Amino acid sequence: MKKSQIFTRGLIKENVVLVLMIGLCPALAVSGTVRDAFGMGLAATFVLFFSNIIISIMRKAIPNEVRIPIFILIISTFVTIIDYFMQAFQPSLYRALGVFVPLIVVNCMILGRAEAYASKNSVINSAFDGLGVGLGFTLALTVMGAIREILGNGTFLGMAILGQGFKNAPVIFMILPPGAFLVIGVMKALINKYVKKETQ
Amino acid sequence: MTSTRSMVVTLFIVALVCSVILSFVYSYTAPRIEETQKELTLAGLKEVIIAEVFTPVVPDTVWKAIDSTQNVVGIVFRVFPQGYGGPIPLMVGLDLEGKITGIRIASAAEGLKETPGLGVKIIEPDFREQFIGKTLDNVFLKRDGGEIDAITAATISSRAVCNGIKQAIEKFASYLCPPLDKRCVFPDAQDFIEAITDTLWYAFGESDTIGIVFIATTQGYADQIEFIVGVTMQGQITGVEILYSNETPGIGEVIRSKEFLDSFKEKIPDAITGATVSSKALINGVKEKVECYKDYLK
Amino acid sequence: MKNPALIFLGAFLVNNIVLMRFLGLCPFFGVSNAVETATGMGMAVIFVMTIASWITWIVYHGILLPFDLVFLRTAVFILTIASLVQLVEMFLKKSYRTLYNALGIYLPLITTNCAILGVTFLAIDNKFNFLNSTIFSIGTGLGFMVVMITFAAIRERLDLAPINPSIKGYPISFIAAGLMALAFLGFSGLFGLT
Repeated sequence: MKKSQIFTRGLIKENVVLVLMIGLCPALAVSGTVRDAFGMGLAATFVLFFSNIIISIMRKAIPNEVRIPIFILIISTFVTIIDYFMQAFQPSLYRALGVFVPLIVVNCMILGRAEAYASKNSVINSAFDGLGVGLGFTLALTVMGAIREILGNGTFLGMAILGQGFKNAPVIFMILPPGAFLVIGVMKALINKYVKKETQ
Repeated sequence: MTSTRSMVVTLFIVALVCSVILSFVYSYTAPRIEETQKELTLAGLKEVIIAEVFTPVVPDTVWKAIDSTQNVVGIVFRVFPQGYGGPIPLMVGLDLEGKITGIRIASAAEGLKETPGLGVKIIEPDFREQFIGKTLDNVFLKRDGGEIDAITAATISSRAVCNGIKQAIEKFASYLCPPLDKRCVFPDAQDFIEAITDTLWYAFGESDTIGIVFIATTQGYADQIEFIVGVTMQGQITGVEILYSNETPGIGEVIRSKEFLDSFKEKIPDAITGATVSSKALINGVKEKVECYKDYLK
Repeated sequence: MKNPALIFLGAFLVNNIVLMRFLGLCPFFGVSNAVETATGMGMAVIFVMTIASWITWIVYHGILLPFDLVFLRTAVFILTIASLVQLVEMFLKKSYRTLYNALGIYLPLITTNCAILGVTFLAIDNKFNFLNSTIFSIGTGLGFMVVMITFAAIRERLDLAPINPSIKGYPISFIAAGLMALAFLGFSGLFGLT
């Protein structure tokens, strides 16, 4: 398979959130604003990219019986690294994401890619796979964040793009928890209706 | 089939390497995290009162604001009144007259849990700026008899902010007594003349010396307690104020209560039950120092 | 927020782990096809969550904090929970066969359940003592179970409903969950009023 294919497969065709329905917790929880969603996506991409590379490098040295604890150790190391760096350099983003930063460690997507891909493929391919899947996750979160922030707060990255009038009386429901479920439900329905048919 | 030994060894090595890497990351970021926190706090403090330096009086709760000419211009305190969705992180600046110089409410990203779109509007300037210049007498919502306009559909959050400010001013007003303002403890005096640098002053009435005012410290429960006392020529205490103390909040800090401090004017009070160490420290400190300076009362 | 009753109610209803905090969504959508399985999963979560909160509390306050090793928190917690689940499974299999038959199949799924790890982190971040931390995790687990069972009951009916094929499955489940979350939003402010 070509490198570009590995990359786009994770980005779009097998998008973790919108197609595979994995990693839903952070996708719903921190997609209230574009900034939070994008930040969360990049943090998870960082962890996925590097854990994929390291696990792929070590794939021949890891005994099969203890592979899961070793994967978890490697992943949690990268999670802690991003956790502390975010606290030091992006404190307001860190506070907005809250407990979901350390919880990247249990995001099924990361352990899933380690187990299903990185432990069986070359370093270069694993790197592309990690980047593709991670950016696919970022893309899905950012799109959700954009929809929810624009409708729910009348802003995009803090700018009132639908006019001040709408900003003063937006659809508040959208940035509250129920809005997250509704947005992903409608998005999934649209994907089912328009995208699935083409592939069939 | 891998042997058990190689399994354990690999697992051990991986765990070791990970811990070492993390300890490096931690030692690199920990001081920066602390610095970032300090910068954020300082930026917040500067938003509520115009001053250069902020010295903590009670860690993370009360700061003294000092301007570029080394004068104390007011205090800032941080409180967390209960709002609609959770505690509201609130900072309030007060000038020496007890007027509010500004308030700052953390945004949702910084931990505000009010309803998005409704309660969170308390962070907007239109609401916050109403508080500037208000005092304990009028910091209520209009519907509660004050002068603050509530946010439409967010009365609970708006009222919580007012109540938080009101309670905080009541609780921390004693910190407002500006340091070295001798008149706080000796209201009858017209003028003060320094006798011992930064420690003791003669209080002058219409024509002659009517007493002394002095500053002293004593060891409290957690830290030194710095206090200022006024005494008449007859040995009558005219007032006691605390300049610095860091006793246990809610327990030892009751020595700052107006009731306790005012009781010194009648006679030296008894220790407060539940805060014996702190109150005894202050009582003995006052007694000792009055005794110590009695030569000046001639 | 030191009152145990408030901590319990807060964890159970106001900040419901699934609908308000968005933790444990995988089992919420994955194992909620039938009321019976949802009940089993709910019980297993309460059980493991409580034990996990004890163990992680002891590990954190007994080892990580005194030895200044807080930076290992994420790694240590997840490994502790993973081994704990294994141990519980083995123990139940040997000693409490009936309980194992009821909960056993759900236990392996719990390791990757972010609700468990999330609760242990939240208990630490909130600086709860041992008792409050226990109450917090029981309340959270109970909140998880109640929402799971209710949602399973809704989905059992949805399966029979004539709906458009493009919104069958996940989309309608999400929308139903959204409506439930909207109902739970009514609990917010419960603290402000008490």
